[in-house]
Amino acid sequence: MTNYSNPIIERELITALRKPRSLAMQLAPAVVLALLILMRWPTDSQVGLSGLRALDVFRLFAYGLLGTILLLVPAFPAMSIVREKNQGTLALLLNSPLSGHAIYLGKLFGSLGFVFLPLIISLPAAAACYAMGGISLTGDLLALYVVLSLATIQYTTLALLVSTITTNADSALRLTYGSVLAMCVLCVGPYQFVQGWSPGLILTVSEWIRCLSPIPAVMEILEQRDLGAQGLISASGTPLRYCSLAVLTAIGFAVFTLRNLKQTMFDRPRPQGVITDDRSQVGQWVRRGVFLVDPQRRKTSIGPLTNPVMVKEFRSRRFGRVHWLIRLVAFCAMISLGLTWLATTGTFAWGPETIGGIMVVLQIALVVVFTPSLAAGLFSGEHESGGWTLLRMTPLSPGRIMRGKLISVLWTLALLLLATLPGYAVMIWIQPILTQQICYVLVCLVLGSLFALTLSAMVSSFFKRTAPATIVAYAALVLVWGGTMLVWLARDAPFGHETVATALVINPMAAALSVLDVANFGDYELIPSAWWATGILSILCLVVITVQLARFTRPQ
Amino acid sequence: MRNDDAVVITDGLTKRYGDLTALDGLTMSLPRGKILGVIGPNGAGKTTMIKILVGQARPTSGRASIAGADCEREAKRIKHLVGYMPDVFGSYDNMRVREYLDFFGAAFQIPRSERVKRIDEVMDTTGSAYMQDRFVESLSHGMKQRVAIARTMLHDPEVLILDEPANGLDPVARVEMRDLLLRLAELGKTLIVTSHILPELSRICDQVAIITHGKLRAYGSLEEVMRKVTQRRTVEIQLVDVAQMDATVAAVQPRVDVDAEVTTSPAESVVRFTTNLPEQELSAILAALIEAGIVVSQFRELQQDLEDTFLSITREAQEERQREADMAAAAADSDR
Repeated sequence: MTNYSNPIIERELITALRKPRSLAMQLAPAVVLALLILMRWPTDSQVGLSGLRALDVFRLFAYGLLGTILLLVPAFPAMSIVREKNQGTLALLLNSPLSGHAIYLGKLFGSLGFVFLPLIISLPAAAACYAMGGISLTGDLLALYVVLSLATIQYTTLALLVSTITTNADSALRLTYGSVLAMCVLCVGPYQFVQGWSPGLILTVSEWIRCLSPIPAVMEILEQRDLGAQGLISASGTPLRYCSLAVLTAIGFAVFTLRNLKQTMFDRPRPQGVITDDRSQVGQWVRRGVFLVDPQRRKTSIGPLTNPVMVKEFRSRRFGRVHWLIRLVAFCAMISLGLTWLATTGTFAWGPETIGGIMVVLQIALVVVFTPSLAAGLFSGEHESGGWTLLRMTPLSPGRIMRGKLISVLWTLALLLLATLPGYAVMIWIQPILTQQICYVLVCLVLGSLFALTLSAMVSSFFKRTAPATIVAYAALVLVWGGTMLVWLARDAPFGHETVATALVINPMAAALSVLDVANFGDYELIPSAWWATGILSILCLVVITVQLARFTRPQ
Repeated sequence: MRNDDAVVITDGLTKRYGDLTALDGLTMSLPRGKILGVIGPNGAGKTTMIKILVGQARPTSGRASIAGADCEREAKRIKHLVGYMPDVFGSYDNMRVREYLDFFGAAFQIPRSERVKRIDEVMDTTGSAYMQDRFVESLSHGMKQRVAIARTMLHDPEVLILDEPANGLDPVARVEMRDLLLRLAELGKTLIVTSHILPELSRICDQVAIITHGKLRAYGSLEEVMRKVTQRRTVEIQLVDVAQMDATVAAVQPRVDVDAEVTTSPAESVVRFTTNLPEQELSAILAALIEAGIVVSQFRELQQDLEDTFLSITREAQEERQREADMAAAAADSDR
C-alpha cells in the first residue's frame, strides 16, 4: 500500500481540517504574522540600503513563526495515537491488514499535513519580508524554512512517540509540551556555562546538545548573537548541526514509536497495586533506603483540618506524590546552587545581573512548563472523569473545592520557587547590597506564579476536557508573556519606549529582569506597576473561576 | 400513590428544557426499605427524575422530597440523606481504592477514626475489601461498580439512588450485584434503581415505575403493574400434528373476541391467541377442539414478564403520541 492510498492519512487530515477550531488555528498565526510585518513595515518611501530594517522585520517574523510552531505542532500529533488507543480504534487498526509501519506513516503524514499548514500559510508574509530587500533567498529565507520544517518534523515524531507510551490525552499533551520546551530551551543551558573554555570533550558535547534546539540555529540565520552569549558570536555551522541532529532524532523517535506500535502494546497486565506494607521485611527495608517517602506505602486517612480536595489532587496527580516533589525540589535546588557556585568560583566574569537573569529565566521557564500542566486539568478533569457529579453530591462548598484545588498547585509551585532560593541567598551573602533587588525579584516571581496558576485554572473552568484546556492554557500563558516579549523585541520600531513599557507591565519576567538591571530591560521602570497589573489580573481570573464554579454547582 | 411511611415523594414533578418536556407531572411515593425499579427507554426522563431527587436539577413545577427534606430547597440535607451512584464511575488516576474511599469519606466530613471503620464496613458489605490496594483506574467494570456502591454507602444514607448499576456487567457479576442490592434493602436502605436489564429488576424490585416520554405510565408492585397492563391474556395451544393447525384456527376463531389476534407458528406446532375471555369460556374452547378431533398436547396461558409489560406500555405510549401528532396535524390542516 503506497502512502498516497493510506486511508489513515486521509482520515487524520480530513477530520482535522473539518473542525472549525483548526481553521482558527491556521488563520490566527497567519493574521498575527501579517500584522507584525505590517507594524514593522517602513512608513516612509525610503528603503535603507544597509538592509537592517528588513532584517528587523525578518527577525520578528522568524521568531513569531518559531513560536507558532512550538505552540501548535505538539498539540495535534500528541493526541493522535493515545486517543485512538483509549477509544479502542487503534486495536481495530492493528487487527486490520494495515501494518504498524503503514499506521505510523499514515499518522505521521496526516499530522504533518496539518501542522505544516502554518508554515505554508506564512509564505506570503515571508515573501513580503524578502520584497523589502536585505535578506537573501537561500542564505536567510530558505535556511529558515528548512530549519523550521525540520523542527516541525522533529516535534511531530516526538509527539507521536509520547502519544504511544502515555495512557491518556492530557498526560500525552503535558509530556509532549514539556519535552519540546526542554529540547528547545533547556538544551541551550549547558553551553552557556562552558563557552569560552578551552576545547575539549565537555565543550564539544555542550555545543552539540545546544544544537538540539532550533533557537541557536534560527538566531544564527538571523545574524544575531547567540542566546546568552558573552560578547561572542558562537561558532558558525549551528543550523547545519541542528539539521543533522533533527533528522537523527526524528528517525530515532520514529524507530522507537514503531517498536511500540504493534498488537502487543495492549498486552499489559493491570497493575495489581502491590503495597510496601505487604512486602517482605527485606523488601520494605530496601524501599526505605531508595525512597525517602515510599509512594507504595499505605497512606493514612485525610486529617480533620486538611482540605480533602487538596489531598486528592496531590494523590491523583502522577507526579504529585511526595517522593516526586522531593526529587523535583532537590533538582531545582541543585541547579540553583550550581549556577551560583559556577559564578562565584570565578570561572566566568558574570555580574550578579547575569546570574540573576539566568535564574529568573529558568524559574519562569519552570513556571511556564509546570503550571498549565498542573492547573489546566483542575476543573476540566473533574468534568471529564465524571468526578464533578460526585463532588457536587458531597457537602463540600464550591469555595472549599476551589481552594483545595488551587492550593494543591500553589504548594507545588511554592516548593519549586523555594528550591531556587538558595541561589539568591548566596548572591545576597556575597553582595548584601542586592538584598532589596532580590526581594523585588521574588515578589515578581511569586506574583507571576499566581497569575500563571489562576489563568490556567480559569481556562480549565471553561472546558469539559483536559486536553484542549491544557493546549489553551499553554497558548494563553505563552501569548501573554511571549507576546509581550515580541513587543519588547520590536522596541526600537514601531514600538516606542512607552508602548513597550506598557506591554511589559503584565510580564513578571520582564519586571524581574528590569529590577536586576539586565541589558535592554534596565531602561524600563516596571515596579510596582507590574505587581499591581499581575495582582489585579490574578484576582480577575479568580473572580471568573468563582463565577464558573457557582454556575457548575447550581442545580440545572 | 401516597403512603404515610413514604421516604421518597414526588408530587406533580415537571421539568421542561425550552420546548422539550423531560418530565411531565410525575407523582409517586416510595415506602422505606423498598426497592423501586425505574424503567424507561433512552431519553424517557429517568435521569432527569434522579437529578431532581439528588438536587442537581430544579423542577419547573411540582416538588420532590426525601425523608421530609425538600430536594430543591434543602440541598445540603439531601446530600446527607442520599447516596447517588451516577452511570459514570468518576475515576481519579493514581489513587488506590482505599484512598479513593477515604477522600469521599473526608468530603462527607466523617471523622477520621469513624471513617476508617466505615470504609472497612462498606468494603465488606460490597465485597470489595480484597481490592483496597488496587489502583482505581485498573479495576474491571464489575469491580468499579462495587467500589461505586461502597462510595455511595460511605455516609450511611437513608436512600440509595443507583443509575444503571448492572450496566455492562457479565451474568455472574449481575447476579452478585442483585444479591448486593437485596442485602442493602435488608439493611433498611431504600433503593431507587434504574436499569435496562428488566429480568434483573423484576427479581429484586418491590415497586416498579415505567416512564416514557417524561410521563409515568405505570407505578406499583410488579404484579399490580402487570395486571394493569396485561388485561388481555395470551393462550398457547400446542398441537401434536402440525397438519391440524388450520382446523385449530377455524375452531378457535369464532369463539374468541372479534379483535383477538390468532397467530400460528408451524415450526413449533403452536397456535396462540389473545383474549379477555374468562376461564369457563376458555375451557369451552378446549372442549370444542377435542370434540373436533384435534390432538392437543398443551393448552396453557402464557405468563407475561416485565419485558412484555414494558414493551406493551412503550408501544401504547408510542401510539398515543402518534394519535396526538395526527390530531395536531389535522387541526393545523383545518385551520388552513
